[in-house]
Amino acid sequence: MSDPTILILASLAEGDKHGYAIMEDILAFAGIRLGPGTLYGAIARMEERGWIRAVKSEARRQPYRITAEGSAELKRQLALFGQVVRTGNRRLKEA
Amino acid sequence: MRTLIRWAAQLYPQAWRERFAGEFDALLEDISPSFGDLCDVLRGVLRARLSPPVHPAQAVVASSSLILRGPVVVSLTAHAFLIVVVLTAAVHYATPILPPSYSAPLPPPAPEPPPLVTDARVFPNAWTLYSTLPLVPTEKDAPPMHVAEGVGINFIALPDIGTLYRWGNSEWRVWPGQALERFIVRRVLPEYPRDTATTGATSVFVEYLIRRDGTVKVLRSAGPTSFTKAARRAIEQWTYRPLEFEDRRCQVVSRVEVRFDGELVQNDVP
Repeated sequence: MSDPTILILASLAEGDKHGYAIMEDILAFAGIRLGPGTLYGAIARMEERGWIRAVKSEARRQPYRITAEGSAELKRQLALFGQVVRTGNRRLKEA
Repeated sequence: MRTLIRWAAQLYPQAWRERFAGEFDALLEDISPSFGDLCDVLRGVLRARLSPPVHPAQAVVASSSLILRGPVVVSLTAHAFLIVVVLTAAVHYATPILPPSYSAPLPPPAPEPPPLVTDARVFPNAWTLYSTLPLVPTEKDAPPMHVAEGVGINFIALPDIGTLYRWGNSEWRVWPGQALERFIVRRVLPEYPRDTATTGATSVFVEYLIRRDGTVKVLRSAGPTSFTKAARRAIEQWTYRPLEFEDRRCQVVSRVEVRFDGELVQNDVP
């Protein structure tokens, strides 16, 4: 669950956020602190893939918004994680 | 450390700097960067320099320079990393890390009794019931004191002002609530949750972070769900003047107990 992509998408699924707000939100809900290099590396690639887009802002802090493609990607990754969790739990019970 | 990271960020490709430099700099202002963050940025530089772009059209343009510049970039980054390690070690050798100073002055006493902002029946003997600010009602047309009925806020005893508080890689400063009173700009009191069948007094405990811009984020809370929701909703609307410790703007952690007394509320509501 340390993949910054899914963490950032999950954070933006709640609403638009700038970089620092994303960092704080991820720390709060996942207990993971993304470093600034990791965060902006992921943001750059996700923007390039069309999963997120910058929202117009006058402030220095640039807010980002999840796109329809980003939401679809988040759903896909969550479904995959859900399957892994269900399988792991089932096998733990069987063991 | 912030300056070193800014310097390291100069190693990002020009296109990256043109797109992200401003907001990246704003992010550095918001966080308390550590040595780990510096390494993280250097790793980010390497990834940005060496990873192929997502779209093939861009790859054509980028690949020619990548072949030529890749080894140079690796060499430059490795040298930069070594210099940073040596500089950091030298700085720590020259200035040994001392425990933080706890000598920040306490706020002066209020010149006259400030207005009551919580129901005095909830915490009968606490001086922290009072604030220098007028009450902000959570409902538009409600009389100002209505939301205070049966609700009280008590500042929990904490270590001295400025004590370090660590959570993961974050380092914040502790600031007891009563000392924060002279910095508060806006306070919204929690509203008694009407959807609960609980009677009598219920306390919830809330730990919150005051960001560098003075806005508040609740870190964690303990207590029955409907009451913690009410307390969190109100506390996240509090605003403070930016706080400084040892002449540097800082993020601050504090804790409050919010007590809801159902009997006092039920007696007053028609």
